[in-house]
Amino acid sequence: MNKELLEKLSECVEFGKINQASPYPPQMKGQPGADEITREALESGIDPSEILNDALVFAMNKVGQKYSENKIFVPQMLLSAKAMSASMAHLKPFFASGAVKRKGTFIIGTVFGDLHDIGKNLVAMMVEGAGWEVIDLGIDVKAEQFVDALKAHPDAVIGVSALLTTTMVNIKPVIEAIKAYSPSTKIIVGGAPLSSDFAAAIGADGYSKNPQEGIELLDKISA
Amino acid sequence: MKQFIDSVLKSKIRKAMPVMTHPGIEALGYTVKQAVSDGRIQYEAIKYIADNFDTIACMSMMDLTVEAEAFGAKINFPEHEIPTVSERLLADAAAISELKVPTLDAGRIPQYLLANRLAAENIRNKPVFSGCIGPFSLAGRLYDMSEIMVAIYIEPDAMEQLLSKCTEFMINYCLALKATGTQGVIIAEPAAGLLSGDDCMTCSTQFVKRIVDAVQDDTFTVILHNCGNTGQCTHAMIESGARALHFGNAIDMQQVLTDCPADILVFGNLDPVTVFKQGTPESIQSDTKVLMEKAGKYSNFVFSSGCDLPPFTPEINIRAFLNAVNQYQ
Ligand code: B12
Repeated sequence: MNKELLEKLSECVEFGKINQASPYPPQMKGQPGADEITREALESGIDPSEILNDALVFAMNKVGQKYSENKIFVPQMLLSAKAMSASMAHLKPFFASGAVKRKGTFIIGTVFGDLHDIGKNLVAMMVEGAGWEVIDLGIDVKAEQFVDALKAHPDAVIGVSALLTTTMVNIKPVIEAIKAYSPSTKIIVGGAPLSSDFAAAIGADGYSKNPQEGIELLDKISA
Repeated sequence: MKQFIDSVLKSKIRKAMPVMTHPGIEALGYTVKQAVSDGRIQYEAIKYIADNFDTIACMSMMDLTVEAEAFGAKINFPEHEIPTVSERLLADAAAISELKVPTLDAGRIPQYLLANRLAAENIRNKPVFSGCIGPFSLAGRLYDMSEIMVAIYIEPDAMEQLLSKCTEFMINYCLALKATGTQGVIIAEPAAGLLSGDDCMTCSTQFVKRIVDAVQDDTFTVILHNCGNTGQCTHAMIESGARALHFGNAIDMQQVLTDCPADILVFGNLDPVTVFKQGTPESIQSDTKVLMEKAGKYSNFVFSSGCDLPPFTPEINIRAFLNAVNQYQ
């Protein structure tokens, strides 16, 4: 029974079935979605960390894989992420009470001057799906805003996104400001025009070209 | 205009048309902010490009905020960069159903029409193309780009309504651009390149086609630009009926040219940033040579940048590119 519910939930996340009302995907129309199934799972006594790891993280992993193989595109990935968030909303109280441990906190934002946020949103959602608490600072984020967020979450890892060659250079002052405030804080960077060489040159602790690798990187540098 | 397309198709020599207006703005000492706000200044920049570069056509600015501004979106105007939409205009289906299709006197639309009219009247040595945003990208700018990606699936009716309103406006605007006397319009649909081929067909092509049907004829060509496409949307782009397609640097031109019918002009695709802006005359020459080897044998191919050349692209690189196109025939 438990296994069946977790499988159903995992399927909802993999195929982007947010809740019963959502018409997507057509083949699951009218059926309960991630929202309803998570509630049912919790009511039937399934451990919240099992829900997180065996259904959500598991499904988002598959989604990331399919995206990197060009089998699905941005909308499908965002729908999966929305389904995951709908489930996650029910798990939030358990995170807050400490009943479920998250891997850590991840603060992410698109660097100042840059308004591209689709990639950043995907990374935020995938990282959340991998079991992290995510603080999303949005777009056009200045160095002070990253530092302020770090003050509220001193153990966080920071992620910075840039999509323009003209704004990727803005990441360097952000890293400098963060390291000046807290030298041990780890910072990872990403976005289409970046490279691992560039990341190293500006003093970042890591770079990845997609969310999947980003998650592995986070696990590695926070271990 | 049919004449223009036929002459490119018949010619043994490949020509070039980078997407650019910034070099003109800079050469004349204006700022981007001035050029996007004042039609006369923008016209001067277009005219400068027409007179000073050996290209087969010139164009008005690729400013993807004019149309969103006309709908009421708030816009930021940096001095030396293209303006940006600063906040989401539409939050839900109710806002979409109340949304009014603006008239052509809204925001900076009259300034853009002025720039295009002056260019069409005064540039006699080559065709002038107008520029505008595509319906899906416009809808994304009004509704939020990430949100629309999801909404096309979970709120299809509201999105259909939004896309139809955007398209209605774009048809009116493109008809007005045509009436200024330009020879065509470059419709920029970058956000559609993030969709699968099927979604591109339903959320972009279907609407672009309405614009094409309303404005394209032997005197006026639609050039559909999609720099997000990595190959999955090429078929959908062809289905729009546009007589010319423009591709970004994320795609393999050789593949595009095998995929596209020989009577459609195909433009592309050197990286505007790494090749044009950050490259050197030597590197851009060798990049152009590689592209010539791949694409030069196709008579429907026109050399171009994959997208708008950013501000402060060195003029010497642009000249090296144009020379290379002539040299490596
Ligand atoms: C959609 C889009 C837009 C939309 C943005 C909507 C939005 N809300 O984001 C609009 C139309 C508004 C837009 C505007 C502009 N754009 Co634009 N845009 C694109 C486009 C087509 C897709 C970008 C995208 O979302 N990709 C999909 C996501 C999923 O990929 P991604 O962002 O790379 O993210 C992935 C990875 O990089 C990584 N990642 C990203 N961030 C992070 C962070 C971390 C920590 C990690 C680990 C990983 C990671 O994971 C993500 C998922 O796999 C690209 C073209 C292209 N093919 O990339 C141009 C592009 C990025 N844009 C470009 C330009 C020039 C502009 C404008 C200046 C255009 C103009 N003249 O107005 C403005 C800039 C406005 C501004 N100040 O920011 C250029 C940039 C050139 C350059 N190298 O500098 C591009 C490359 C187009 C081109 N070929 O010239 N754009």
